[in-house]
Amino acid sequence: MSAKKEAARTLDHELTLVRVFDAPRKIVFEAWTNPKHLAEWWGPAGFTTTMNAWEAKKGGHIHIAMNAPNGEVYPMGGTFIEVKPPGKIEFTASALNPKGEAIFENLTTVLLEETGGKTTLTLRTKVLSMRPEAAQYLAGQKEGWSQSLVRLEALVTAKAK
Amino acid sequence: MDSLTVTFAALTDPTRRSILARLAAGPATVGDLAGPFRMSQQAVSKHLAYLLRARLIEKHRRGRSHFCRLRAAPIRQVSDWAAPYRIQWEQKFDRLDAFLKELQKDKKP
Repeated sequence: MSAKKEAARTLDHELTLVRVFDAPRKIVFEAWTNPKHLAEWWGPAGFTTTMNAWEAKKGGHIHIAMNAPNGEVYPMGGTFIEVKPPGKIEFTASALNPKGEAIFENLTTVLLEETGGKTTLTLRTKVLSMRPEAAQYLAGQKEGWSQSLVRLEALVTAKAK
Repeated sequence: MDSLTVTFAALTDPTRRSILARLAAGPATVGDLAGPFRMSQQAVSKHLAYLLRARLIEKHRRGRSHFCRLRAAPIRQVSDWAAPYRIQWEQKFDRLDAFLKELQKDKKP
């Protein structure tokens, strides 16, 4: 029973994040749709972003790359599905391997709501397709301890049986 | 902070990870746990307090001894497929937050 539930959840591959920003919705929307603004915050701390294309309009192209401090480059390609001021941005995005092939494709929806000068951002991201190497790619994004975590989880699971 | 962030923060420390690995083998007292670490029981207690707050372990009293036991649920959550995405987005949001503050500072001198 619970195994079935687990499988269903894994297939869903959907994630929702909510965050409140102390800024009006107009400014947050601009931070998402203006490539110059996006470059200021996209990617983890210490990363820089190369903006080849971030055409925030329906059908617009996405081609950007995150540059890690160690010199590694994580390119990403995609397409805007919908850009509706002042509160909705939706796009597909794929992480690309060195051959330029999509490792996995996500559909990301960003909704902005304003209350009392603050903006509540709801981000939903859903995996549309995934290549076998995706798991490895994602694991590589975590710090080195991810591997000890996997080992730890194996230990914990073994113990629980 | 959401629970996943708390879990990750707790797991960034190698001593805490060793403690968890030890507890994966079975419950242990604070003294047992302090043994292999060449650090004071007090220092180990600090790490345990952190792990307790992150709900990665539980403490039980048996007679005069406190036993620690691993809680598997948060670790499963971390090893879930979504964790890297979540972390990436949280990191981006941290920067977005800082950027928005910077923008508004410029506008309101």
